[in-house]
Amino acid sequence: MARIIVVTSGKGGVGKTTSSAAIGLGLALKGHKVVLIDFDIGLRNLDLIMGCERRVVYDFVNVINGEATLNQALIKDKRVSSLSILPASQTRDKDALNKENVGKVLEELGKSYDFIVCDSPAGIEAGAMMALYYADEAVVTTNPEVSSVRDSDRILGMLASRSRRAELGLEPIKEHLLLTRYSPKRVEEGEMLSVEDVEDILSIPLLGVIPESQAVLKASNAGEPVILDTESDAGKAYQDVIDRLLGETVDFRFLVAEKKGIFSRMFGG
Amino acid sequence: MADASIEFKGTSFTLSVLHIKTAELANIRADLVKKVSQAPDFFYLVPIVVNIEQLDCSIDYQAVKSLIEELKFTFVGFTGAVGNEQRKLIRELGFSFVNTSKIEHSQKNPQEQQALVKEPQAITASPEKHLFTDKIHRGQIRSGQQIYAKAQNLVVIGSVSAGAEVIADGNIHIYGSLRGRAIAGAQGHDKAQIYCQNLEAELVSINGNYWLSESMEQHWGSPAFINLTDSELSSAKLI
Repeated sequence: MARIIVVTSGKGGVGKTTSSAAIGLGLALKGHKVVLIDFDIGLRNLDLIMGCERRVVYDFVNVINGEATLNQALIKDKRVSSLSILPASQTRDKDALNKENVGKVLEELGKSYDFIVCDSPAGIEAGAMMALYYADEAVVTTNPEVSSVRDSDRILGMLASRSRRAELGLEPIKEHLLLTRYSPKRVEEGEMLSVEDVEDILSIPLLGVIPESQAVLKASNAGEPVILDTESDAGKAYQDVIDRLLGETVDFRFLVAEKKGIFSRMFGG
Repeated sequence: MADASIEFKGTSFTLSVLHIKTAELANIRADLVKKVSQAPDFFYLVPIVVNIEQLDCSIDYQAVKSLIEELKFTFVGFTGAVGNEQRKLIRELGFSFVNTSKIEHSQKNPQEQQALVKEPQAITASPEKHLFTDKIHRGQIRSGQQIYAKAQNLVVIGSVSAGAEVIADGNIHIYGSLRGRAIAGAQGHDKAQIYCQNLEAELVSINGNYWLSESMEQHWGSPAFINLTDSELSSAKLI
């Protein structure tokens, strides 16, 4: 059985698509068969982040409507052969999806993939509900600021009440907290919520802390998920996230501000 | 014509009731003396009603009164579930017979007692009696969620997030942080209370009286309970 992981947040712009791309690619790099699904119908972004926007012929909605087969719509990643992307439709809206057909597509994908990573749209409406409905696990992407934390809290409530697992009374969705755009310096200055603050409010297990990094924007524009940038803090932090998702225990990095020593100042380290 | 100088009003008091189980005055005296010697100040001039329902035979009422007064109690009268003839006799001797409002003290009729035990269970749903059962919620209550414990107390084993709402007709106990809204005594119950391990609430309300977070500064961020005193909310440290 494939593990269905939804990357969700409630609030927009916190890094859901960046994280979906990094997680999908990271798992594939570890040798797992992974499919990334863009649930953000009408605001198709995942293909851009993955750098496959020019190869989109058919999309998720075409498959749902029976206008294309899954194999026609799935785009194989050029970097890692075990990764496929199912892009969203840019011309339709979120009502194009329905539970029954989404369920069928996921079931079909589950036969040939180890992981199904669902990139959720923002909000708490039908689109977001559709993305989380069939999930086994949820990566709740949160920025260290109060509005994002509150929206994440709301989504956690939805995960516990509106998902398939909740409706059928099965084991609840496994929740993971992914803190993105974290700046230890600003936490020290009291401008940003700390990891502990967010953990205290949401009280779910921490999956990873991604530091605020220039590398993320660069990676997005280049269509190269930041996890491929193994020199960057953000790339390394996503690498740790993958290891933790695969059950390893990895210490958290990038939680304290770097103290610049005299040598790094002199040599611009 | 109104009596300007006096006025009669009914008021309830808690009185000590001495249950006597034997007609042997010597035994009663010995036990009483022993009892009084343990706390002479406590018993000094305490009003005493004597309950005679556990006696199988008649007793010298006058002697009982004398004994009570001799030991420096204030004798009030007799009480107990006894027959009318006995009551009449007591009154004829010049003593008052005090009727209790509740018959719960009755130990003569076990069937009657059973009926009394059952009664509170049947009326637990009635807010007037405030004998609420508990609704227990395990886990965090997230933003946007609402929990209502109708005619119950609410126990939350977890935190109540900002933007969440917990409502109970009885008390609210939160074993975690209260960051959302808590509304106790929702159907009108001014004895309802709110307990939490960390008070950071948006709003607390008891029987329609509410506080916004700015009123909670005194115990903000600490374990606290909130109750209603003379229609005013007040908070106190829990531990």
